[in-house]
Amino acid sequence: MARKEIVNGNEQNDKKLRTKDLIFAGSFGAIYIVLTLILVMVTGAIPVLYIISPVLVGAVCATVYELCVLKVHKFGAALILGILFGVATSAAYLPGMILAIIVALLAELVMAFGKYKSKKMFLLSYVVFNLTMVCPFTNLYFNRDVFIAMATEYNGPEYAAGVASFATGWLPLIQIGLAVLGAVIGLFIASKLIKKHFEKAGIV
Amino acid sequence: MDVTFYGGDNKGLINIDPRTKLLIFLTSGVVTLSSFSDIGVAVYSVLLCAIIALCGKPVTALKAIVLLGIVLYLRAILPTSQGAPSVIIMIITLVTTIFMFGFPMIMSIMLIVKTTKISHFLSAFQAMHIPVKAIIPVAVFFRFLPTVADEWNGVRKAMAFRGISLSPVQIIFHPWRTIEYVLIPMLFSSMSVMEELAASTMARGMDVDIKRSSYEKIKFGVADYILVVLIIGIIIFTSILGNMVKGGAVL
Repeated sequence: MARKEIVNGNEQNDKKLRTKDLIFAGSFGAIYIVLTLILVMVTGAIPVLYIISPVLVGAVCATVYELCVLKVHKFGAALILGILFGVATSAAYLPGMILAIIVALLAELVMAFGKYKSKKMFLLSYVVFNLTMVCPFTNLYFNRDVFIAMATEYNGPEYAAGVASFATGWLPLIQIGLAVLGAVIGLFIASKLIKKHFEKAGIV
Repeated sequence: MDVTFYGGDNKGLINIDPRTKLLIFLTSGVVTLSSFSDIGVAVYSVLLCAIIALCGKPVTALKAIVLLGIVLYLRAILPTSQGAPSVIIMIITLVTTIFMFGFPMIMSIMLIVKTTKISHFLSAFQAMHIPVKAIIPVAVFFRFLPTVADEWNGVRKAMAFRGISLSPVQIIFHPWRTIEYVLIPMLFSSMSVMEELAASTMARGMDVDIKRSSYEKIKFGVADYILVVLIIGIIIFTSILGNMVKGGAVL
């Protein structure tokens, strides 16, 4: 009796997230965030590379994201990634965190246009999702003095001056452009790698 | 790296609730991103090490504290050392900065990963009537961080074994190839771990939407209350300090 109910429950919930999907989302989130943090921390020593980090992260992490959404192909995978990303990278600045969640929801919307089946929409959604890389920088846009003071304390005055010289009013737009550019590069790599390795292995 | 995944031998002097540990993790983010001095981060890091030692991992805590001491010493003597070439000073500043920035986060992740059982983690949050579907991604996220580190080590060793170097020169001149060589094996092996995790949760009956019972004792103890008060104090203190700098004449 009880067993029957369980089986039925699983069939009914096929469009909803199941435990397996949650596990995939959570663990891909861990990979995504570790890669992001490594990239930003190692390249972050040089102000220019720090500012253009959306490109680097987009290029490397696109494959992880694509695998995650292709594996789950339901509503929620990108959202969970976005929430984990927001909490891990912009915990100190609430607007940045909220922005990350909004961006993730937008990415879900793009995928919903393809009814979670269209491969092009999966790819396209990363262009939106990579805007999450702008979120940690919201602190720099809206809270510039504090950010510069912090950079001075951590990395020394030269570094802070370097960051400050880049942090003009145009920076948000430039970084959004960089994030899109990075996502496009990343998608190029991701679609190639997925075709070459994962489709052959029958994982996706 | 001897990471025991969610190794939860309750040999510690105090047992902290997983919820307090998650709060500590979030606070680490706030402290590193809004503290303005090495001293603040150092004091917070020492506090973290003390908590880890009390929770039953004194060796880990001791190693971390020695490392922190060395880094702080280096940072203290750097501005006064004139003789050294500037390249070395730059490299040391760089490495110690990354270290200081990441240390509290890594230590609080250690606290969660090394001293908490996954079932304890799950049941603590279920006791707060948070739905399982919201808890599982977070629990898996923390469970997976050491796995990523492990897989990364494995990939690096395998690459070295085949004579593919991971030097900066290689990364700069062959970025696409490096991405492929690092990412693909890491993702493949992580995915098999994920499949195993999914099977194991299935076996534990997580798929069913019925309230689960647990052997774990979930209770906020005296240590938890003290820590929570302390943490809220730290959050208020750092955010006020941040505002003072914002209002002050810095830049």
